[in-house]
Amino acid sequence: MNQYFLKKECKELHVFPHVIEFALKKINNIQFDSFKKTTSEFLRFYYVIDGRFDWIIDSEHHILYPDDLAIILPGQSFGGEKDLLDIGTVSWVHLELQQLDRTGKICMGRWSRLTDSECRTIGRILLLNICPVLSKLKEAGTIFQNMKNEFINQENGHTGRINQLIDELLILSARQLTRQHNSQRDFPQTFMKLEQTLRENLSHQWTVEEMAALVGLGTTAFSEKAKSYTGFTPLNYLINIRIAEAIKLLKHPEVHVTDIALDVGFYSSQHFATTFKKLTGYTPSEFRKKNIIVNE
Amino acid sequence: MECIITIEIGTGAIRVVAFDLKGIILGSAKGSYPTFHAKPDFSEQDPEQIFITMLYILKNFLNEKIHPKKHKVICLCFSSAMHSVLPIGKNGVPLGNAIAWSDNRAKKEAHDLKNSSLGKSLYKITGTPIHAMSPLNKIKWLKNNDKDRFTATQKFLAIKTYIIQQLTGEYIVDYSIASATGMLNTRTLKWEADALKYTGITKEKLADVVSVFYSPKKLKREYQASLGLHDKVKLIVGSSDGCMATLGAGVWGDGKATVTLEESGAVRVVGTEILQDEKQRIFNYLLTEGLYVSGGPTNNAGAVFEWYAKQFGDFKKAFDLEDCVNNLINDAGKVHAGSAGLIFLPYLQGERAPIWNADARGVYFGLNINHEQQHFVRATIEGILYAIYSIGKTLEEHQTIKSLSANGTFASYPFWTQMMADIFNKPVHIKQGSGSDSVAFGSFLLSATKIGLYKNLDEAAETVKLPDSFTPNKQLHNVYMKHYAIFERLGVKLFDEFEAIADLQHEN
Repeated sequence: MNQYFLKKECKELHVFPHVIEFALKKINNIQFDSFKKTTSEFLRFYYVIDGRFDWIIDSEHHILYPDDLAIILPGQSFGGEKDLLDIGTVSWVHLELQQLDRTGKICMGRWSRLTDSECRTIGRILLLNICPVLSKLKEAGTIFQNMKNEFINQENGHTGRINQLIDELLILSARQLTRQHNSQRDFPQTFMKLEQTLRENLSHQWTVEEMAALVGLGTTAFSEKAKSYTGFTPLNYLINIRIAEAIKLLKHPEVHVTDIALDVGFYSSQHFATTFKKLTGYTPSEFRKKNIIVNE
Repeated sequence: MECIITIEIGTGAIRVVAFDLKGIILGSAKGSYPTFHAKPDFSEQDPEQIFITMLYILKNFLNEKIHPKKHKVICLCFSSAMHSVLPIGKNGVPLGNAIAWSDNRAKKEAHDLKNSSLGKSLYKITGTPIHAMSPLNKIKWLKNNDKDRFTATQKFLAIKTYIIQQLTGEYIVDYSIASATGMLNTRTLKWEADALKYTGITKEKLADVVSVFYSPKKLKREYQASLGLHDKVKLIVGSSDGCMATLGAGVWGDGKATVTLEESGAVRVVGTEILQDEKQRIFNYLLTEGLYVSGGPTNNAGAVFEWYAKQFGDFKKAFDLEDCVNNLINDAGKVHAGSAGLIFLPYLQGERAPIWNADARGVYFGLNINHEQQHFVRATIEGILYAIYSIGKTLEEHQTIKSLSANGTFASYPFWTQMMADIFNKPVHIKQGSGSDSVAFGSFLLSATKIGLYKNLDEAAETVKLPDSFTPNKQLHNVYMKHYAIFERLGVKLFDEFEAIADLQHEN
């Protein structure tokens, strides 16, 4: 297998401002300090073709074998355990995204054909899943191989193809992350994990697409499963959690009603008041007044 | 049409069912809520989430199925899981999550108390075996380990007490739930002084004990409005899920027992006396004055089979457990009774009745090179039912059992029900079309008695028709008994090894 290396300055990358680096590298002998731990603002994917690599990703030690894919988020440190590249073959790509912030908001840039809501979902999955290594992901290898061929051959349409392949890599990673995280056998357990995630990010405006993607199902299948398991549609289940949290906060007189509304994920205190009243018969402030027994 | 609505506050979900006055189901709805495990032994639930789920489901149900048809709601009757503890502070506000029935944190407290003379006398007085799940020990745990919360607690409630208080403003607990706390004197029907002393609380810290027929004050005006219910609608405090399931299965006198096969399971009989078991293997819960539901619970019924299915079953479609379970049961039918000498001890979650050993663990015994996957499936089901049988045998030391009535999700599989008949060598009846609705039906019977449709619960229970019957096969019974003898001995012989392996597992 021939080695291949493209850096930002290379003319092949001029039409791909978002691709900072693309490489396929074969390591025949060990060189000290060849792979020091670095942090970058790029989204980095590393795919092992053969060999065994000892890497530190975000301070965690991982051993990668052939067909494993490492995903390093912007701001995470990454490098060899001994600051060097082990013997073997590895392929990688560094991407500069328009935006990927802590809340999971991600913007690919104009090159991508993913919709805004798909990007949002992928971003959320990338950020939520603590697992940076996807094991046995041969499909990722095919994507890297195809990208390399397109770069080398420069055939008509290669710009479109390469951008497509990058989209594919992102989709594949996001889907695989949820599959690796959930067994697809135990819905109650999977739903419990989802519920935890929802509770930890209750102020986020969750969509059904995001929730479905997190458990690794399509939206239709997810809505059906959720309804038959919980008795609620996904969005109603979410409202249920929001109101339950709100009730708890309402029982603490020092918290402002407006703050409660936003904290538990309603977009305004009006929206909160309407929903709350519809369900309980009380406005939030009435509920607070009548449900704290003062003299006992 | 006039209707009765039953509300079950179950271990993982609210179930709402509407009945007409003849006991025909007009509709039902359910809504689930999670159990949180902050630590391995902890099982907690969010009381506000349970409350709002109840309200949400009930409101939607009324608006979609009841009000449009102009059905007139006469009463709402509650039932719930037992053993929960929810501490509330001086403003009536919950101090953290509720400790759910299955929570095991009070293991040490239970262990220390169980064989003491106080423990023995408390079992005699309350009828509840001393174990980690009983609120008696959970409150003691709070006293020993969460002093701040314990001191700040104004009242220790059951989840049902909290829900009813939210709706009406009244703090009450029914006989059944109260008797499952391990703190109620089942003769005087008052909180037992020795139990209060042991937990370090006064009776003011507990809710007022009332009959299962008691009607609390009216629904708060706001809830009347939001639910669209008249102020004449009667609320009935009701009983526990276990007692309701027994009532709903129509198990009354004459050598009848009921078997419930949900995630956990139980065998129960009804009598007018507490069954005093020297070894504290049997619980006695009060259904109403002078009527006791006695029996033994197992941790390892449907939950263990579902565990097997999730690990080894074939999932053709993502998350389709039901399909996977059906296929496995078909597989089990392909091999003979006794699983060619493969015996399974189902104690994956420790065990309550009859061995009461939290350290017990699962075992496949007798494996040889000819065993195939089908033998494992069948052995798993056989093992679960042997455990059920062992509870029945314990009960039979006190009371003759001539026939069984089965309910719960797993009782609706004929393969399981037939096997149960063969293992027990007794006919098994199941209510036609019944899945897990005997809790709701019990609540219906209780409500119907309250509003005067029946003279008393005896008369109500007699109306339960159990047409589907499974007759035991004597030959198969003999095969099962040869295997059961080994099953029973293994449970005893492995006692030390259970403890050793449980210790090892705790270290990890």
